Amino acid sequence: MSEWRSSEAARGLALVGPTLLYAVAMLAVPLGAVLVYSFLTDGYLTIIPEFTLANYAEVFSDPIYRQVMARSLGVALAVTVATVVLAYPVAYFVAFHVRPERRSLWLFLITIPFWTSYLIRVFLWKVILGYNGVVNATLTGLGIIDEPLTFILYNVNAVVITLAHAYAPFAILPIFVALGKIDRTLLEAAQDLGESRLATFLRVTLPLSVPGVVAAVLIVFIPTVGDYVTPRLVGGPEGRMIANIIQLQYLRLDNYPLGSALAVTAMAIVTVIAVGFVLSLRRYLRVRQ
Amino acid sequence: MKGRWLRAYTVLYLLFLYAPIALLPIFAFNDATIIAFPLGGFTGRWFVELGKVPALHDAALNSVFIAAMASVSATVLGMLAACASTRYEFPAKRPIMGFIMLPLVLPEIIVGVSLLVVILRAGLHLSHWSIIAGHILIVTPFSIAILSSAFASLDRSLEEAAIDLGETPWSTFRLVTLPLVMPGIISSLLIGFTISLDEFIIAFFLSGSEPTLPVYIFGQLRFPQKIPIIMALGTILVVLSILLLVTAEYFRRRGIRRAGGQDSGGFLG
Amino acid sequence: MADPIIQLENVTKRFDDFEALKGVSADIREGEFFSLLGPSGCGKTTLLRTIAGFEAPTSGQVRIAGQDMAGVPPNRRPTNMVFQSYAIFPHLDVAGNVGFGLRRSPMSAAEKARAVDEALEMVGLAGYGRRAAHALSGGQRQRVALARALVLKPRVLLLDEPLSALDKKLREQMQGELRRLQRQVGITFILVTHDQEEALIMSDRIAVMFEGQIAQMANPEMLYRRPVSRRVAEFIGVMNFLPARVTASSPAGIEVEIAGLGRATLSGDSHAEAAPGEPPSVGIRPEMLTILFGNEPETGRVAEGEVREVVYYGDMTYYEIAIDGAPGTVTVSMRNLVNRPVLRRGERTRISWDERALILFR
Repeated sequence: MSEWRSSEAARGLALVGPTLLYAVAMLAVPLGAVLVYSFLTDGYLTIIPEFTLANYAEVFSDPIYRQVMARSLGVALAVTVATVVLAYPVAYFVAFHVRPERRSLWLFLITIPFWTSYLIRVFLWKVILGYNGVVNATLTGLGIIDEPLTFILYNVNAVVITLAHAYAPFAILPIFVALGKIDRTLLEAAQDLGESRLATFLRVTLPLSVPGVVAAVLIVFIPTVGDYVTPRLVGGPEGRMIANIIQLQYLRLDNYPLGSALAVTAMAIVTVIAVGFVLSLRRYLRVRQ
Repeated sequence: MKGRWLRAYTVLYLLFLYAPIALLPIFAFNDATIIAFPLGGFTGRWFVELGKVPALHDAALNSVFIAAMASVSATVLGMLAACASTRYEFPAKRPIMGFIMLPLVLPEIIVGVSLLVVILRAGLHLSHWSIIAGHILIVTPFSIAILSSAFASLDRSLEEAAIDLGETPWSTFRLVTLPLVMPGIISSLLIGFTISLDEFIIAFFLSGSEPTLPVYIFGQLRFPQKIPIIMALGTILVVLSILLLVTAEYFRRRGIRRAGGQDSGGFLG
Repeated sequence: MADPIIQLENVTKRFDDFEALKGVSADIREGEFFSLLGPSGCGKTTLLRTIAGFEAPTSGQVRIAGQDMAGVPPNRRPTNMVFQSYAIFPHLDVAGNVGFGLRRSPMSAAEKARAVDEALEMVGLAGYGRRAAHALSGGQRQRVALARALVLKPRVLLLDEPLSALDKKLREQMQGELRRLQRQVGITFILVTHDQEEALIMSDRIAVMFEGQIAQMANPEMLYRRPVSRRVAEFIGVMNFLPARVTASSPAGIEVEIAGLGRATLSGDSHAEAAPGEPPSVGIRPEMLTILFGNEPETGRVAEGEVREVVYYGDMTYYEIAIDGAPGTVTVSMRNLVNRPVLRRGERTRISWDERALILFR
């Protein structure tokens, strides 16, 4: 009590301590365990503590795993591009064309669907895209098509559409925050210096919003690579992604080492891509406003 | 005018966002067992049938218990971390906070399998508590985000003034800090509850013999004749989460207003 | 003379690698209005917060009413603070704010309510008790902050730049009110400010601080007329500096040769420190130089020069004048009178001065 602010660092660490300890015990230790398992040998229903690279050899040599891994990355990339491109104008509208006191209402409207029953939402896309679904019923009803479309369900397209829908708010919010931080006089200065509105957007607004776009890309790309529910419900056999395979290894085949190797490999690839992406744009990220 | 096109686009986008949810009540009240068009007549029987499934009630109770424990624990942990990160400089602050916030981007399946590995390795059984442990992990970053803005908009000199006027650090916390961040705490509790209630994958990996509501729903999706009941259940869940979210948003905004701060945006702002 | 209420003995404060206070010693008397004046970053707020107990000194001693305050937290010190942001509790109404510190007092609820009412009346906010905190104007928030501190009857009231957030008119009004309030309650006030005019107007004594040290501690008049260093002289008001050479020095007086003014003899005590590395110079305030209009008779010594710039302030006119034989210009201020013309740029003029107004900086 005597030195009530004696050591700031000690007090800060003491405060953050319990949360940090929890994250270490429940995240760092388990992730470490997965890493260790990935180098162990699978004996059916038991794990033999013998170091091996066989799991990784299988992950990298089996064409099924390579195909699923490539598909996961491809889907995540498509979802990320679609989500960010579609979300940018919405974030721009809310940041620049909505009165400040109405902004949080719009953001609230955008975030609500994100918080509501993920599982049922994904299932409803099945209803929308299915053989007798909303899309087909509408199109046949209008006489645009005679036979219901089949290429929109139980394949990669359906996975992309559904995931793009699920992660939309995650893309809008960081871009909105970045746009909101841009000093409005910079835009006026650009126009004052003779730039058109489009050129102002391309030369000032867009570069300054890069940090938001980067955050949006990461926050969409990383979780979508590992999404389980969407490929399972709307992907069909040819829409399976890495999470489905991991789940299969763990819960069905009880092959923890191989499941772990798949998880570690997926995380490593995603990390490399994410770091590479951030580094390639670091010029824009260093801007201090 | 450019703004009008953007507005039209945004409204369309919102329609896209809300399309699946809008379908829920349509099929929940549709008098047909097949979820497809054309619709049958209007019925309330799926809601009545909801009351006749004991397994569902058990799952709902499990979920509520797990969500309550997870949101309370995550809010306590989130409060400590938010207070530390907004108030203090300490060594390795950025990596520490980054690590705690990591579950925000980590695929949930990774959290699920890694916890599964250690729990089984430690010889423990899967139970409510294993799910709660996982949910605390993913809810804490959201609690920190909400509570950080509550703490950041709190003027430090208010607490100094209370100390100066004779209060101890503890009574200052009780009389000044707590009332001013209380809206943030309530908002964090409600959001955490909503996330946990809705979380599927971690619960899927870590539930033993007692499923949570989403795990139960996932199991039912395989049986076409059960779908209309699930639609009715979904309708109730959506209404419930919207109520929770509206309440959370109300408290979040009141908190910022009370502390005299500026509203920066949504939950993740 | 009353005993010192606050005694600072060689107080130092170090933050990581920054030394905010470098050995501050001072006695502050019971019942005086004392100001800590200095540019931002000089350590004045740190010193105030050290007295309040929010910062612990790295070394040295703070005594309040004769008692060593080492280890005494802010809530057990007989001091109360008016914060720069006022720190009005947004979740309480005006009465709740003013009565905040009375929670632990043994008074009855009725007595507490009366104390709050009296405090509000004292600061001119009678009847505002039920007003919500967010419905107050800047000036009202400041009054609530004052009432909240004064209701506890502290031995010392600490004010951290309390007027800096107010506009000019309101600030001037509050300066007068604070002074009146201090006389009325008789409590020691310690004011932190960067505004030299504010410090001169309000204080009984002022400590001028630079870089964590007190440069000079004196009453306003002494501070203005006898600054101990060129730095203090430049910080308090305006002073002209002319290069000078000391030709003879004895306890009786100092003989100097001043550029543009010629020879002069200064009394032995009218000298102060020059800025480090600067050659000696002689300083004189603008109002101590007098322009002689037309054929006005000479009083004292006279110099001649040319008007280079004229700045008209309404009640005063400030001239920049290049004195023959001196580098640069000097500033001369003249009150505007009925029969006194305003000179034009380029006009020649005579300036009268008195050696008693000179200070030697060496």
